[in-house]
Amino acid sequence: MTKRYVLVHDENKCIGCQACNVACRSENNVPESVTRLQVRIEGPYGNFPHLHFKYNRVSCEQCENAPCVKVCPTGAAYVNDDGIVSINEGKCVGCLYCVAACPYKVRFINPETRVPDKCDFCKESRLARGEEPACVSVCPTDALTFGDANDLNSEVRKLLDTKQNYQQKVNLGTEPRVYRIPSRRGGIKA
Amino acid sequence: MKLDRRTFIKGAGATTAGCALASLPGSLAAFGESTLKGSAESVASICEMCSTRCPISARVVNGKNVSILGNENAKSYGGAVCARGGAGHSQLYDKQRIVKPLKRIGERGEGKWQEIEWDEAYATIAENLNRIKAKHGAESVAFSSKSGSLSGHLFHLAKAFGSPNTFTHASTCPAGYVVAAKAMFGGKIKRDLSNSKYIINFGHNLYEGINMSETRGMMNAQMEKGAKLVVFEPRFSIVADKADEWYAIKPGTDVAVALAICHTLIEDDLYDKAFVAEFVSGFADFAKEVKAYTPEWAESISDVPAEDIRRITHEYAAAAPHALVDFGHRSSFTTEEFEMRRALYAANVLVGNIERKGGLYFGKKASKYNKFAGENVAPTLAKPGVKDMPKIDAKRIDMVDEQYSLLWSSGGIYQTILDSTLDAKPYQLHGWVMSRTNPMQTMTDRARIVKTMQKLDFVVACDIYISESAAYADIFLPESTYLERDEEVVDKSGKSPAYYVRQKVVETIGNTKPSWLIWKELADKMGQGQFFPWQNMETLQLFQVDKNTSLLNKIKADGWVSYGKPLLLREPAMVKAFSVSYPNAKPLDADGTYASQLSFKTPSGKIELSSDKVEKMAPGRGVIRYREVNMKKADELFFIQGKVAVHTNAATQNVPMLANLMSDNAVWIHPITAGLLSISSGDAIRIYNDTGSEEGHALVTPGIRPDTVFAYMGCGSKNKELARATGKGVHCGNLLPHVTSPVTGMNLHTTGVKIAKI
Ligand code: SF4
Ligand code: SF4
Ligand code: SF4
Repeated sequence: MTKRYVLVHDENKCIGCQACNVACRSENNVPESVTRLQVRIEGPYGNFPHLHFKYNRVSCEQCENAPCVKVCPTGAAYVNDDGIVSINEGKCVGCLYCVAACPYKVRFINPETRVPDKCDFCKESRLARGEEPACVSVCPTDALTFGDANDLNSEVRKLLDTKQNYQQKVNLGTEPRVYRIPSRRGGIKA
Repeated sequence: MKLDRRTFIKGAGATTAGCALASLPGSLAAFGESTLKGSAESVASICEMCSTRCPISARVVNGKNVSILGNENAKSYGGAVCARGGAGHSQLYDKQRIVKPLKRIGERGEGKWQEIEWDEAYATIAENLNRIKAKHGAESVAFSSKSGSLSGHLFHLAKAFGSPNTFTHASTCPAGYVVAAKAMFGGKIKRDLSNSKYIINFGHNLYEGINMSETRGMMNAQMEKGAKLVVFEPRFSIVADKADEWYAIKPGTDVAVALAICHTLIEDDLYDKAFVAEFVSGFADFAKEVKAYTPEWAESISDVPAEDIRRITHEYAAAAPHALVDFGHRSSFTTEEFEMRRALYAANVLVGNIERKGGLYFGKKASKYNKFAGENVAPTLAKPGVKDMPKIDAKRIDMVDEQYSLLWSSGGIYQTILDSTLDAKPYQLHGWVMSRTNPMQTMTDRARIVKTMQKLDFVVACDIYISESAAYADIFLPESTYLERDEEVVDKSGKSPAYYVRQKVVETIGNTKPSWLIWKELADKMGQGQFFPWQNMETLQLFQVDKNTSLLNKIKADGWVSYGKPLLLREPAMVKAFSVSYPNAKPLDADGTYASQLSFKTPSGKIELSSDKVEKMAPGRGVIRYREVNMKKADELFFIQGKVAVHTNAATQNVPMLANLMSDNAVWIHPITAGLLSISSGDAIRIYNDTGSEEGHALVTPGIRPDTVFAYMGCGSKNKELARATGKGVHCGNLLPHVTSPVTGMNLHTTGVKIAKI
C-alpha cells in the first residue's frame, strides 16, 4: 500500500451545519433518501449550565481491517491500493452481506444504482480530478482534514501527532481511518 | 439524559418530501422535463440562498446537477459554502418551483391559479397600478423587496411610478444594529472577529446563522489564536456550546448586562481615556447615567452573576483593544432594541477598539482607500443616474413620527404597510408590489397581514415559489433563480476594496425572467420605459466599470477581486505596511497611524455616546438608558426564536434538500417546565397567547432556561402551495404581537406564551 488516506474530524471546530452532507450529495449524486455522510448533533450532555453537544460524523470509517470486505463473497467490496475501501459494482451480486457486516451501519443500497454505496473519500469524483473530498473542501470552519498519513509532512500526520484523538469502536479491531479530535468540553467519548 | 437533535435535523431524510402539488399550474413539474445547460464549465458567481451572498464557484455535472462550492479567490471565505449554498441546485430544479406567470382565479389565498403569458401579466399589472394611481395617487401603492441586488430595480420602478413607499425587510431583521450605528458612528460598522482575542457575544448565532467570512473568522480566532469567547444567551445554541463561558441570561435583559459592562469599564477605570477624549462626544452624560448600572443591579435583572460580569469586563479590558463586544444581528428582542444595540457599541467605544485589529472598523471602499494610498490602487465603480425622474411630493407612510427618521432611507418601517392599509394612517394604501419577501413569516401578527392582503385592491408578488405571502397575490411573476441570472458588479470591500459579480451558471429553465428585466419590461408597459434606458445587464456592467472591459472580464473570470493591503487606520503595523507599499500615501501621524484621519458622519463629527440629534428625534433617548420592559404575563413563558444552519429565515423551507434536512421546528422546553406540564419529548403541544395559537411538538432539553421556550423560525407555513413546509412545526409570526420599537422601527421577536399538551 503506497498511500494511507485518512480523514480527521475536529469536533471542536465542527458546528454541525451539514454543509458537508449537502456537498457530498451533490458531488456524488447521492439520492435524497439515503446518505453517505451526516453529522449528528447529539446532546446536550452534562448538567446545566455545564452542557456540551457532541458532533458525531457518521460515514464510512474506511476500516483498515474492514468487516464489509471480509464477508464479501465476490470481491466486489475490496481495498484499493491507496487503502480506500471501495466497491466494484460489476462484481456485486446483491447479497447484502457487506451492509449487514458493517458495525458502523454506514453502508446502504443506493436506490438508483441498486448496489451498495458509502463514502469512498470521493475517490471516483473529486480525488480522481486531484481535488480534496467535497466535505473537506466546503466545511465552513475547516473542521475536516484529509490526506496521506504515510506522508510525514502531511497535514493529517501533523494533526494526529500533535492533537489528542480517538477512533470509534476501536474495541472491534476494525482500525478506522477516520480520526476524531474530541471537543475540549466533551472529552473523549468513543 | 440523551437527547438527539436528529429529531429535528434529519441527516438521512426519513421522510422524503412529498410532491403533493406536482401539477400546480406554472410549476416546473407542469412545464415538463428539462436538462440543465451550463454556460461554462465552471462559473464564478454569488450565492443567494441567504442574505450574506458568499462568492461561489458552480459547475454543471452531466446536465443534471450543479455542484456549488465556495470561490477560493475570496480568501476570508476559504472556498467554503454552507448547506444552504450547497443546495442551490435543489432549488433550481425543484418541481414545485414556479416557472410561468400566474393569475389568481379563486379568492385571495385560496390557492387557485391559472397560467398566463408575460404580456398578459404585465398588461394586468399596468392597468391596475395606473388605475390606482389615477384615482388615489401613486403613493397609495407600496413596493417591498428583500434588500440587496433585488431591491434596486424594483425601487427604481417605484420612483418612476411616483411612489415614495419602498420597503425592505430591514425592520423585521437587521435594522436595530444599523440604526444604532447610524446614530452613534454616522454609518455602518464591521467587526474584525478573526483578529480578536476576546469576544463577548450576546447570542449572535454565527455558528448557525452562518455568515461565512465572520463564522470562519471567529472559529479561526478561537481555535488557532486562542481567543476567548463569552456568550450570553437564554438557550444553549451552537455558539453557546463553543463558548468558553456561557450564561443563560434572562430573555430581553442583554441591555442590563451591556450597561453593567460599561459601568465597570468606567468605574474601575478600565476605559481608554485618550481615545474617548479625542473621538467621543457625550461621554460625561453617558458616564453619569451608567453610574447606577452596577453589576449587582444587572444581576438582579438578568440572572448573570455580578462577580462574573465584573471579572469578564476586566478580562475584556485587559485584552483590549484587540477585543470586542459583538453588536449582533437579528433584532428586536425587546422594545428597548435601540438602547441595547447602543449599549453594545458603547462597550466597544470605551475600550477604544475602533479601527484596531480585533475590534470594530469601517469598510474601505476604493474611493477612500485610494485617497489614503495617493494612487489608484483599486478602480471605483460608477452608478448610472437617470435624468428627469419624477419628483415625488407625497410623504412616506412611515414618516409620521420623527423618531424613526434614521430608518427612512434604510428600508423603512415595513409593518406600516399594514397600519396604512387597515387604518388609513397616515393615508390609505391600495396596492402592494412585493419581490422575494415573505412578510407572512417575518413580520409579526400573521392574522393582521391576512386582513391587509384581503383589503388591498391589487397585490403583485414576484418570487421563485408561491411563498406564504405570494399566495395572496393577484398576479404572480416567476423570477429566475440566482443560478440563471446576471447582475451588476457588487462592492464587497472590507479592510481593503473588493468586487464580485453574479453570473449565470445555467441557461434559464422554464419561462422565468431575472427581476431586473421584469421591472424594466413592466415599466415599458406602464409607459415609464424612458426611465430604464439600459438595454440589458451587460450595458449596466460596462457602465459601472466605465467601459473597461478587461476589468469587467477579470471580475467575471476570477469571481472575486480584491486590491491593496488590509488597512485599519489606528493599527500601527497595518498602517506601516500600507505606507511602505504606497510611496505617495498620506503622511502618517506622529504615532505612526492614521488616527487623525478618523471621521464620523455625525453632527459632532465624533462618536456620539450621547446624542443631541437623537434627543431631538426622540425626547428622552439622547442618553442611553435602561427602561424596564414587560415581555410576558406572569403565568406565561418567554418565547424566543433563532436561526438554524440549514435554513434561511422564511425563504428555504420548501427547497427539497433542505426540507429533507429539517422540515419542522420542535419547541425547546426545559425538563422542569416540561415536568410541570407533563410533557415529554415528541409530545404534541399547543403554544398560544393573545396573538395566536400554534400546534407543534416538544423537545425537552436542558439547553434552555426553565422560564423560556424556543423554536427555530420560518416553519409552519399555512398556504398549501409550499407543499413541503405547510403545516410542519410552529409558525412564529403567528405568536408575536404587533409592536414597533422606538427609534429603530423594529418589530418584536420576544413575547410570552403558554404551552399545553394536546
Ligand atoms: S461542514 Fe464541517 S462544520 Fe459543518 S457539519 Fe460538516 S464537518 Fe461539521
Ligand atoms: S465503516 Fe463499514 S463500510 Fe466502511 S469500511 Fe468499515 S465496515 Fe466497511
Ligand atoms: S469524502 Fe466524499 S464521499 Fe466521503 S463523506 Fe466526504 S464528500 Fe462524501
